[in-house]
Amino acid sequence: MKDFRAPREAEARERAWEVVRSAYESREPVTWPRRHARPLIAVAVVAAAAAAVLSPPGRSVVHSLRKAVGVENAQTELFSLPAHGRLLVSGTGGAWVVNADGSRRRLGAYRDAAWSPHGLYVAATKADELVAVDPKGNVRWTLPRRAPRFPAWTGTRTDTRIAYLAGGKLHVVAGDGTGDRTIGPAAPVPPVWLPGRVVAYSNGHALVGYAVDSNSALRRARIGPSGVTIRRHAGQSEVVSGGRVLFRGTGVFKQVVRSPDGRWLLVTWPTADQWVFIQIHPRKIVGVSRISSQFGGFPHVGGWCCSR
Amino acid sequence: MAGSSRDERAWVRRAQAGSVSDFEALFRAHWAPAYRAAYLVVRDAGAAEDIAQEAFLSAVRSLDRFDRRRPFGPWLHRIVVNRAIDWARARALRPEAEAVDAPAPDPPERDEELLRELEQLSPEHRAVIVLRYLLEYTPGEIAELLELPRGTVNSRLRRGLDALEERLQ
Repeated sequence: MKDFRAPREAEARERAWEVVRSAYESREPVTWPRRHARPLIAVAVVAAAAAAVLSPPGRSVVHSLRKAVGVENAQTELFSLPAHGRLLVSGTGGAWVVNADGSRRRLGAYRDAAWSPHGLYVAATKADELVAVDPKGNVRWTLPRRAPRFPAWTGTRTDTRIAYLAGGKLHVVAGDGTGDRTIGPAAPVPPVWLPGRVVAYSNGHALVGYAVDSNSALRRARIGPSGVTIRRHAGQSEVVSGGRVLFRGTGVFKQVVRSPDGRWLLVTWPTADQWVFIQIHPRKIVGVSRISSQFGGFPHVGGWCCSR
Repeated sequence: MAGSSRDERAWVRRAQAGSVSDFEALFRAHWAPAYRAAYLVVRDAGAAEDIAQEAFLSAVRSLDRFDRRRPFGPWLHRIVVNRAIDWARARALRPEAEAVDAPAPDPPERDEELLRELEQLSPEHRAVIVLRYLLEYTPGEIAELLELPRGTVNSRLRRGLDALEERLQ
């Protein structure tokens, strides 16, 4: 058995090396001062805490510090997702697919990654092109465009289209990369697809929609909070559903993403460098820390896909 | 295959300091055993690639904390084999849900029969056989790697080998 050779070893090795090298190059090595500063910081924190509890105002400082640290007993590694499906994330460390068992694959140095409707492909951007790749990172097509942003993919298995932003305008291209056309001016925010082949963006007060087939600006609907939302006030963030606060923490919650089965929410919390998975019924919370070091920067979640 | 333990310690030390070429040496020395071990447990080239790649990504994430007095291989193989066992178990539970890869080229003929028979064993039995006869760990080392009692490793080895012998006769 020791002479055994597996199929496609060399190709697999070179593909994996590209991914692993990229992860290695984007890591932040621990420098000597950082490594040795840790015990000193620990001593300073203990001393500060001891001083703080000596007075009532000090006690309130300790209380607010405790609130700032994120979910206690958070896992230091994303071992698995609490529900089925796959997460797509992207940021300064590139785009990654995270499988339900916690294994992950780096797709490449892309940003703004978004799933196709059934999770068969991923649309993403680079500095000068829109790209469609499969979940293993194989490039299906590219479309050269200057500074494209925010692809949003919609449709059925046989007819899909991608809206994206480039040059201050909204564009739509077919899922196979053909038929790219300009739809109209848009604010520099992620577009959303609405029923009836309408693509829309928010101008901060209202949704501005375009009927894709006629390029006509359709309507301006008021934006009202719906479903699960994030509310911020007084240095705190809250995840709210139907007027009920599901989760609260100090600092900024960036996103809330629902699992494919709808039973879990993923709250991204850059202030604490954590992801927090919240099961709604029965209530359960799982925190994962060190997100930035796991993905080469705190990533944006492009989606949790797909229903079985 | 892996370099000498002195080479390896030097690669780890310099990789921790940021040397891409030393990290690459470490990767190239350990890729083949990791990929082969994963493949023998899961029998799926795509999954084996993902498992081995993920083990190296874990290595990148843990590199700064890695104790370079310890050998790198066993640490990596532990991740690979445990993940491969998990993957094989999961596939056994939902075989219809898996995407089908393009067919892999056939392995050399002399391996084919052994592979076919190895596939009939449970993932746990496959793992100890692979660790013992591909990666050449002792039963004591396997017990430590998989956090199993030594007796369990011995019995899995014995049962696995008996089953293979019976089928290959």
